Amino acid sequence: MSRLLRGELIKAVTTRSVLGFALGGVAFAALNALAIAAWSGTLDEVPEKEEALSALPILLLLWGLVGTAGEYRHRTAAPAALVARRHRGVVLSARITAYALTGFLLGTLTTMVSVGLALPLLSDHPGPDLTSGDVGAVVAGNLVAFVLSAILGAALGALIRSPVLGVVVLLVVNFAVVPLLSGVWEAGVNLTPFGAAGVLSRMTHHTTLSVVSAGWVLAAWTVAVTLVAVLVERRRDLA
Amino acid sequence: MTSSRGVGIRGAGDRSAGDRSAGDRGAGDPPVIRVEGLTKRYGRRTAVDDLSFTVRSGRVTGFFGPNGAGKTTALKAVVGLARPTAGGAFLRGTPVTAVRPDARLLGVHIEPCGAHPGRTGRAHLRSLAALAGLPRRRVGEVLELVGLEEAARRRVGKYSLGMRQRLGLAAALLGDPEILVLDEPVNGLDPQGIRWLRTLVRERAAHGGTVLLSSHMLGEAAQTVDDVVVIDRGRLVHAGAIRDLERSGESAVAVRTAEAGRLSALVAAAGGRTKAAGGGGLLVEGLDAAEVARLAHREGVLLEEIVERTASLEDAFFGLTGGADR
Repeated sequence: MSRLLRGELIKAVTTRSVLGFALGGVAFAALNALAIAAWSGTLDEVPEKEEALSALPILLLLWGLVGTAGEYRHRTAAPAALVARRHRGVVLSARITAYALTGFLLGTLTTMVSVGLALPLLSDHPGPDLTSGDVGAVVAGNLVAFVLSAILGAALGALIRSPVLGVVVLLVVNFAVVPLLSGVWEAGVNLTPFGAAGVLSRMTHHTTLSVVSAGWVLAAWTVAVTLVAVLVERRRDLA
Repeated sequence: MTSSRGVGIRGAGDRSAGDRSAGDRGAGDPPVIRVEGLTKRYGRRTAVDDLSFTVRSGRVTGFFGPNGAGKTTALKAVVGLARPTAGGAFLRGTPVTAVRPDARLLGVHIEPCGAHPGRTGRAHLRSLAALAGLPRRRVGEVLELVGLEEAARRRVGKYSLGMRQRLGLAAALLGDPEILVLDEPVNGLDPQGIRWLRTLVRERAAHGGTVLLSSHMLGEAAQTVDDVVVIDRGRLVHAGAIRDLERSGESAVAVRTAEAGRLSALVAAAGGRTKAAGGGGLLVEGLDAAEVARLAHREGVLLEEIVERTASLEDAFFGLTGGADR
């Protein structure tokens, strides 16, 4: 597995996408920190302050999705499968793990930017300050959301196999289906991967779902989609 | 470009008598690749229809057919990338679906080259070497082998068609595999590259390797292959040694003589046939030029002109596939 992971990591970090996603993540984290901590008025509650530290897990969902779907778009999955000495499901598992690891690094980078920018700004706001425990919990939640989102995105990419179609599906679900669901069944939104990731990263607060439960919901989605992707990968044609 | 497996490049790079005898060594061996009743359908469209053939070790087998004949689909099924609708392919007697994919056993190049346009050629090969568990030095070796060292740090998206082809071949050769399966490998290669490729596959066959390569240009690839498999519209239309295909073309001897009637009778007595050709000439079938010349000399028939007309491999190919009518 280590050689497969090494090979997949080389693939994940040797295109310009990784740089694009790193810059995009950093830019969003900085904008989010400034928008909430500097430009949105008084923050006097802990959940409001925590929101300033949150990042954007959907970015990592896109990272995994675009990367893995690109393997089929550019036919790079076929040569990998032909040399791997393991069946395709194992190769895909290694690929997804590579996206989880790179997702963790990208998540760490963007979280460092969020925390580094937002914490000094938050100290000017009234109300209770964030304790180191609060900050640690937000950072941990962000990182878990990032890693799970990267895995979920990579698994979805293996199923959809087209980066463009994948991104369109993701945007439609996030900006059309989830808001529609919210109108019908508000609590149900938190049970979607987007809703759970929002709770986990503290972008959403004042919800009935706890942060830990949100982690379990996102993990359940991730495990289910990953299992389907690995099983399907073994049965589908490549190239 | 240098040669693989430490064997020097032969001058011509074409199939030689020595190569043929090397190839013939594999004639009695069990086939390395066996395709049995392979069928692949996409919805209602049948891309490959009940295809069966074998590929032996120490031979270069050409897989021919017009564009859209189903060659690439069949090759994908042979190497395990596509799942057959019916039938299957076997590598050394084991169903390809049960064979553990290994760069040391099977090297495959199927167009396109399977490299991300945003990745450098070297990074592409490094990732494959890591996945295959091969030492990193192999990357440099195959880059040198295919003549891509100088372009190795450029992104694949900036490569020409010929360079992408070379990169695909480098990937196929990474594990120095026992079996090579190459889909249209000469596409985009310059004459020097084509010659290099011919030499490479002949050398591999001479050293007991097995090569299956597809092409839609039989005449060009004929200089390289020992055996041929010809398909048309997904179906097998011919399988056998290329020599048999060369012989299968209807050859004739064109003769001009003032004694056409007498020569016709002599040819008929010798087991041949004659047809009238324009300008008072005769077309003799069933005897070769030497036999016709000897017969005429022995019987004192003066020949004013004698020319052997051999049907080309292309003619044979078009005859098999109906390509000339398309």
